[in-house]
Amino acid sequence: MSATGGDGRTERLLEVKDLTVGFPTRDGTVLGVDGLTLNVGSHERLGVVGESGSGKSVMGLAILGMVLPPGRIMGGSVRWKGENVLDEAVANRVRGREIAMIFQDPMVSLNPLKTVGAQLRELLQRRVGLQGSAIKQRSLELLDMVGIANPGDRLKSYAFELSGGMRQRVMIATALACDPTLLIADEPTTGLDVTIQDQILTLLHNLSTELGVSVLMITHDLGVVAQFCDRVQVMYAGRIVERAPIAQMFADPQHPYSLGLLQSVPRVDQAAAELAGIPGEPLDRAQFPPGCAFEPRCGEAHDTCRGAPPPLVKIAERRWVACYNRPGEAGETST
Amino acid sequence: MLRWLAKRIIAAALVVFVVTSLVFVVTHIFTDPATVSLPLEASQEDRASRRASLGLDRPLSVQYWDFLSGLVVGDLGESFFQTQPASKLVFERLPATLRLVAGATAVTVLMAAPMGMLAAWWERRFADHAVLGFSMASISAPPFWIGYLLIIVFAVQLGWVPTFGSSGFKSLILPSFAIGLASAGRLAQMTRRGIVEELRKPYAVTAMSRGFSRSYTIVHHTFRNVASGFVTMTGWEVTRMFTGYTVVIEVVFSWPGVGRLAVEAINDRDLILVQAAVVVLATMVVLTNLLVDIARRLIDPRVDLA
Repeated sequence: MSATGGDGRTERLLEVKDLTVGFPTRDGTVLGVDGLTLNVGSHERLGVVGESGSGKSVMGLAILGMVLPPGRIMGGSVRWKGENVLDEAVANRVRGREIAMIFQDPMVSLNPLKTVGAQLRELLQRRVGLQGSAIKQRSLELLDMVGIANPGDRLKSYAFELSGGMRQRVMIATALACDPTLLIADEPTTGLDVTIQDQILTLLHNLSTELGVSVLMITHDLGVVAQFCDRVQVMYAGRIVERAPIAQMFADPQHPYSLGLLQSVPRVDQAAAELAGIPGEPLDRAQFPPGCAFEPRCGEAHDTCRGAPPPLVKIAERRWVACYNRPGEAGETST
Repeated sequence: MLRWLAKRIIAAALVVFVVTSLVFVVTHIFTDPATVSLPLEASQEDRASRRASLGLDRPLSVQYWDFLSGLVVGDLGESFFQTQPASKLVFERLPATLRLVAGATAVTVLMAAPMGMLAAWWERRFADHAVLGFSMASISAPPFWIGYLLIIVFAVQLGWVPTFGSSGFKSLILPSFAIGLASAGRLAQMTRRGIVEELRKPYAVTAMSRGFSRSYTIVHHTFRNVASGFVTMTGWEVTRMFTGYTVVIEVVFSWPGVGRLAVEAINDRDLILVQAAVVVLATMVVLTNLLVDIARRLIDPRVDLA
């Protein structure tokens, strides 16, 4: 069997299988991530797209074996180059060094009371093992790499003295400090000015190409996905509903939810077309329907949809959909 | 930093001025030191002569000026009862109170910081519940009762330390704990809450996602961010020690401090001496706040320089 990348050129790095994360509430356990399956290969830029509350951010941390209390990982596996990341000893080795994460809000993701230099130093010292002048040299190199002018001065700056774009650049520098193989970017451009968004995406794109770092881009923004990713997975209510190479997703979305997402994006090249929304509200996670989670909002729903959640099935080469109306090739369920 | 410091010191001096003026207003306008110091059955003539001997028959503005100019050179008037300068009596007692507050503050900080960090580290586990239990117990027990309990167990039963008085380091231990336990309980809970809250913040999650352990993140990332609040709360506790706890505990332990002096002065209806004690304790409170401001400025570069 080939890698999920499909073309056989890529080495499989990250394999997430049936990952389930639950949060206890008064009304019982709510699943933030529900049987998630996902693979990232080397030199790949995979997008995970979904609306807020779809479990994207929970997923990002859970891949590192981290869940904010009171949540916990209830099942499934996360393997990094074959090793079990849910094992704490493996996780300690992998976190930061192999898989590094950057977060949505660079305003608050840097320690407000430590200088940029101090935050890089502790990583280089404790996680990489550099010493003496090598630390400063590497710090300057990292800041330079992420396009920060006067890196020498910036080492002494606190986060509150930097602009939003600069902070995200510093975040990226700290993520790259330990030479990771995979970067998980959780909404890295949300909250930044549009021009800065573009700069940060371009920077991430260039860095991933130059350094050969794979990127798992978690976003609600299809524009980001279109600009950045090779492949995309659409997430709804903690589950993957569709997986496709980027061009095919935009040309021919299969899942009714993907279709709705694409239709709700304004496009400047199609004048006068009315913007379509997806009817209904995003799900209240405590009130999952037993069947397909999208069923209450779906125009194509029928009785089968209310029974059990549809499995993710292969409908064509490199294309997977979880919908009863898109029957797949026999015997090919989710990898 | 120096300009900022100068401003803070001037502001502190202003507060001392206002507080002492308020003390003057209370003792000279709302009450009459002469009447208070005399027996109830004293005659009008007695009162008038006492007023004259104390200079209370002069215009208020003159008295106020006298009070202020006396204050500048450390003259807080004369105690009627002990016929000695009030400032001398208070300053004789001040070192004992300062020792007690220092001891209690050490107990507070050295217990609260580790307990708070431990409880946060083991959030919702046994250690967390144990720290919470200690805090609830120490906060709900009145300091004088804790004091008696400590005396009975450690001084009477075990005989490890003296039961009362101020003689060397050993005698400082029990009263310091009697005051510090409740403060430590409050501060430990605040520290725990602060750290648990900080641990959910993106910068702490980021640190842990880079592979730093929970304990490293607590000590090197989140504690720094709660330190500013920790110092502020410690300052409040010290303030309450000066204005309340030491008074009670000095009585319980027969500790020769300003608090007990103030209680004696109140029993003697020695208003001038009470006034002197209040002025000195209030000054200590203002100094404490000044120190807190300086410490916060050193911890957090974002604290406004204004």
